[in-house]
Amino acid sequence: MRLAKAISLRVLFGAISLLFITFIAFIADEIAPGDAATVAAGEKATIAQIELQRKRLGLDRPWTVRYVEMLGNLSHGDFGKSYVGTKEPVADIIKRTLPMTARTAFLAMLVAIIIGVTMGTIAAVYENRLGDRTILILSTLGVTVPNFVLAPLLVYLWCLNPNKFAQFVSYGNISELPMNWTPDRVAPDFYYLLIPVMVLSLRPMAMLTRLTRASMVETMKQEFIKLATAKGVPPFRLIVGHALRNAILPVVTAIGTSFGFLLTGSFVIERFFTMPGLGSTAIEAILQTNGPVIIGTIIVSGFLFIFVNMIVDILLPILDPRIREAQV
Amino acid sequence: MKKRDTLFWAGVGFLFLVLLFAVFGPHIRHDHLTQGDTIHDLPNAKHWLGTDELGRDIFARLAYGGRLSLMIGLTVQTFAITFGIIMGAVGVFAPSWIRTPVLRFTDAMFAFPDLLIALLIIGLWSPGVIPVMVALSITSWPGMARLVRSQLVSLKDREYVIAARAAGASTTYVVMRHILPQMIGIILAVAMIDLAGTILSESTLSFIGIGIQPPTPSWGAMINNARGEMQSHPVPLIWPCLVLSMTIFALNFVGDGLRARLDPKSGRT
Repeated sequence: MRLAKAISLRVLFGAISLLFITFIAFIADEIAPGDAATVAAGEKATIAQIELQRKRLGLDRPWTVRYVEMLGNLSHGDFGKSYVGTKEPVADIIKRTLPMTARTAFLAMLVAIIIGVTMGTIAAVYENRLGDRTILILSTLGVTVPNFVLAPLLVYLWCLNPNKFAQFVSYGNISELPMNWTPDRVAPDFYYLLIPVMVLSLRPMAMLTRLTRASMVETMKQEFIKLATAKGVPPFRLIVGHALRNAILPVVTAIGTSFGFLLTGSFVIERFFTMPGLGSTAIEAILQTNGPVIIGTIIVSGFLFIFVNMIVDILLPILDPRIREAQV
Repeated sequence: MKKRDTLFWAGVGFLFLVLLFAVFGPHIRHDHLTQGDTIHDLPNAKHWLGTDELGRDIFARLAYGGRLSLMIGLTVQTFAITFGIIMGAVGVFAPSWIRTPVLRFTDAMFAFPDLLIALLIIGLWSPGVIPVMVALSITSWPGMARLVRSQLVSLKDREYVIAARAAGASTTYVVMRHILPQMIGIILAVAMIDLAGTILSESTLSFIGIGIQPPTPSWGAMINNARGEMQSHPVPLIWPCLVLSMTIFALNFVGDGLRARLDPKSGRT
């Protein structure tokens, strides 16, 4: 029962956060110069024509009414229409580009968690020895080297062969890229995603490595580990079953935060590898001052972030009886 | 211990060099800042670090970009410190009906990815130096506010603060005169680490093309421009990558070192 209450509270908090983003997006849109009316009236419109459009689109109503209307539209997936090109509905653009971003981001997160936790554990077990020092230096580099510095470096090292190079560096022909998971397309998909995922996962990986190491070092010094060692628990079970099981909690919490880095990182990576995802769409929209697309993509990115953090927070009490007990 | 000290001072020395480079570099070399000369020159006597794809002098552009990055970073951090202290103090001393929403708002802003909000602000406003500065300022303060708050909570019940209060000093006076001097060191150390984050965000925005606009040079845009021909001409790519990474690394390293010296509790991780 307690757990159910904690979970529903967390979902409520997630909903409030989402409301908060939409509100910020709305305010930013209000303050920004130019609106749907100026676009609808065309480039050579007089002030009177713009006013007419404003009335027609209902932009002359008070902001509270329009904000509630925007929420209503968002709730059934209506993000408005793009200002440029074929005036495609923003929802369609998001539907088309989100899978690319989500796939890359979740894959990178998975890689970061697996390698990060493993490396952190290894570093903690060999504390202050050569392996630990090496991992520590690598993870410090991973946190400080920007991903747009890392991306060309990796591409350069990986693809000294010019043909391979062309393949990796551009997703130029978008139509060739499969957007659906079908068994026969998975292999080429992963091949394309190899370097983007590697670059993207490095920063969260380094963060999780450092955190796992710190948490494990702390845990390994505790009484129950000494007891387990004395009892003769085999090393692997001692480290994974006893120590890591207890040390993993701060790492799980950090997964939420590092997903934020991953999300903003994907904007850079998609731009670098010209991948048709949410990030590159948002950047393109920004360059064209395409308001509805900017707002739509940022809200969806924000939603992804809130969603992942919500899952993480719900996972915590399930993983740890101590938190479960502490929650009212 | 000794070895760590040497590394720390090496970091300080490097940052000092970057500062000199940003302040005086643009005065030493400014001939081919935006107009081209011979394209893709290797480093030589005339162009110390070579020229880029339009024949512009890389040394001049790096120095100018560094100056702009530092200027934006320092402005943003000045704002973050000021606003962070105000919000942190409000979060401790204000009545609870103000304090609670302020704390919740700070936490929400702290958790949310900075760059996402910055993108929204710049996207709906316009790319450029001022929007970048404003967007990064708006997202910069929550970490500082939380730091100030935690420090204030631990310092506000010390004897000398209670003594000052008993003598009739106001909250503002106590904070400014007695508590702030105690924590200014740690604030500056953390601001240094945050400065690395700001410079990284600024160059990220410039890299994706919505930060500092050409022809004004910036490290991020230089990397973006040079990546097209990086296979045949890696020189214009290497310099900005190197300088940016090393600056961020040094700022983090020196900031961490400073914090460990000033606050032994945080130095362990």
